[in-house]
Amino acid sequence: MSIALEQGDQSSAIRLEGAIDIASAAELKERLVQALKAGHEEGTDVRVSIAGVEYLDVTAYQLLWAAEREARALKVKFSFFGEAPDTAWVGLADAGLERFKATENDL
Amino acid sequence: MSNAINADQFKHSFREEAREILVDLEAALLELNANRGDPELVGRVFRGLHTIKGSGAMFGFEDLATFTHNLETAFDEVRGGRLQITSDLTDLTLAALDQIRAMLEEGAEGAPPPDPVACAEILAKVRHLTGKPENRRAEKKQPEKKAAPDSSLGAARWWFIRFAPGPDLMRFGANPLLLLRELKELGGLSVKPSPAAIPPLAELDPERCYLSWEMVLTASATADAIRDVFIFVEDNCELSVEAASPPASLSASIPDSPSASGTASSVPLCAADAVAQALVDRRASSGGRREYYKPENASSLRVPAAKLDQFVDLVGEMVTVQARLAELSARRDDAEIAAVSEEIERLTSALRENSMTIRMTPIRATFEKFRRLVHDLARDLGKNVELTIEGAETELDKTVIDQLSDPLMHLIRNSMDHGIGSPEERAKSGKPPMANIHLSARHSGASVLIAVTDDGRGINTEAVRHRAIERGLVAANAQLSEAEAFALIFQPGFSTAKEVTDVSGRGVGMDVVRQRVDSLRGTIDVASTPGTGTSVTLRLPLTLAIIDGLLVSVGDASFVLPLANTLECIELTSQDIERANGKHVANVRGVVVPYIRLREHFNIRTPRPEIEQIMLVETEGGRYGFVVDRVLGDCQTVIKNLGRFYRHVQVVSGATILGNGTVALILDPERLAADAVRLARQGMMRGHPAGHPALGAVGTGHGGKRESSQTNAA
Repeated sequence: MSIALEQGDQSSAIRLEGAIDIASAAELKERLVQALKAGHEEGTDVRVSIAGVEYLDVTAYQLLWAAEREARALKVKFSFFGEAPDTAWVGLADAGLERFKATENDL
Repeated sequence: MSNAINADQFKHSFREEAREILVDLEAALLELNANRGDPELVGRVFRGLHTIKGSGAMFGFEDLATFTHNLETAFDEVRGGRLQITSDLTDLTLAALDQIRAMLEEGAEGAPPPDPVACAEILAKVRHLTGKPENRRAEKKQPEKKAAPDSSLGAARWWFIRFAPGPDLMRFGANPLLLLRELKELGGLSVKPSPAAIPPLAELDPERCYLSWEMVLTASATADAIRDVFIFVEDNCELSVEAASPPASLSASIPDSPSASGTASSVPLCAADAVAQALVDRRASSGGRREYYKPENASSLRVPAAKLDQFVDLVGEMVTVQARLAELSARRDDAEIAAVSEEIERLTSALRENSMTIRMTPIRATFEKFRRLVHDLARDLGKNVELTIEGAETELDKTVIDQLSDPLMHLIRNSMDHGIGSPEERAKSGKPPMANIHLSARHSGASVLIAVTDDGRGINTEAVRHRAIERGLVAANAQLSEAEAFALIFQPGFSTAKEVTDVSGRGVGMDVVRQRVDSLRGTIDVASTPGTGTSVTLRLPLTLAIIDGLLVSVGDASFVLPLANTLECIELTSQDIERANGKHVANVRGVVVPYIRLREHFNIRTPRPEIEQIMLVETEGGRYGFVVDRVLGDCQTVIKNLGRFYRHVQVVSGATILGNGTVALILDPERLAADAVRLARQGMMRGHPAGHPALGAVGTGHGGKRESSQTNAA
């Protein structure tokens, strides 16, 4: 698992790799808060890379959902890029949580 | 990491629950073997397997889940009437349960590891029986479609399910996604998640589950089967399962069951809009979102045994300190201190009683596991034996229960091997071919009576006598009473078996029974009638920690008599002694009761008072009196072991520390009386009818019971 935040002039990129679950939830929240803060204060976009994600659990879904809602409220551009393997979505799909699956484009 | 700790705790909790499910599964399976075709029992076995499989997968026991899944498939066939219950299937399933147990305990100290070869053989046989290929449940990447478990129970029904995980559910290692996946296996599932409770990012607790789900399940599963999916999180979630009516527009298009439809369960069985409408309708009719279920409403709580032991130890210390306070209060003439002392005494007493209640556990689980032993032994010995159980709800101290398994196992093995004859032998004796072993438990005062009774041959006392003579345990011309003969079977290495079998015959088992019962301060009572059967009754104390006692003194020494055995106290004057012509008997309202003078029995060299007190106690051997100088009053007594140097002192069951810091011995009335009788008999054999001052002329207490053997006071 790794959660890396790369802050550039135009955008902040959060790269998610491996299993993003409750064990990494606190770290993911911290990165999302940082990125959104930068987006709000400096007008940068927030981009979340899910290409390397192997598994997402409910806690990760909730954080991404909350971050996406907050970005909309702050008028920060929030998008996903990359394509996670189908296995990463198996559990979420069963639970009706496929919101971020097919989004290579902006939300 | 806290998550790792929580996950371990949850795995531990799963293991504990799964152990209980395995015991129930085994009992249900053996009942099913005796009542083949009982759909309720088939359902019980199926649900047990289904729960272990589903929850096992959720908590990371993938191998266990995969293995169990194959077994579950076989019982799905049984439910559908496509496979019959046979002895082979029963034995196969029992062997599989052993492997599941091994997988569950893998890595635990002393636990046998699972045997991959045996597992493979079991699965091959299951496949042979069901005619189905192996189910590879572990292949998570392929969302599986298994046969709907309840497909045999009738047409598909609509269920409205609402599942709101508790805030800590994920912290405890549970994963709602796996639960929903498990639910999906029951039938066609339409899911509508609700993110409404997710707070702003800054306020969001990253480890908490805020999502909830509303679902419509179309399956022939029962409400219980649906609830079983959530069995391990039921105290940490809000769950409602309600039968629902399908919208009229859909009812025509719904297949009878998901398996019949041939569609994958992940495919909704009706249009999403219609399901959404059904959910909206449902919500409107139920008055919207209900209050979140609070875990504190849980009706029971699982507590590690070690914590309970520590709690009881602390209560024991508290009782000792309270006794010191009471002693202090008695010495100081201070009304305020006396009031506080009395209040503390009342509270300590209530605390003690409550803590003892917490430790009380029904003996059911211990009893039920012997069904398997009887089944296996009957098969191995070529005998037909049924086990009947009575009083399984009888409660006794956890510590006592923990130590009961071994003695009961040896008693049952002994009955199966030696007591019960072959079907041919039983037929010759006019007995039914199905032999019976009856396991029973009941309370009797402060004791619990646990009996193992068989309808076998009974004990051949003559064979016992011969064997005892051969082994030099008794003289060649010894004439043994029935009770003495019965007592011999508990001697180390004693066996009348002509040959040693895998089951018994080495003379070890019954010795273990005696040792264990001794260590529990219990007694063994044997009653046997040749040709009819044998009954071995273990009398055990309800608790081993704290008892209500009566404090008495003889000279400078203090003793505690268990209050449960004590009947009443009467005076003994010089005139009474004269009237009895020096014999140690008292006339209690016209009934002659023998007494034991503790001063003489314990050789206490202090002058005896003018008026002594006789404490009348009830024992298995009858009613006796114990003569003491003074009765000081009742006391809560924390039992302390005397240590290994005094382990052979049988008449004392422990010691306790009194409020003034001195030690009082806790007497064991049963053994004390038996010891006095033994000494009296020895005195008579040496030609001194009153050789021992106690019971010089009286061999047994008033109200002595039927001919039986009590082994104690060795």
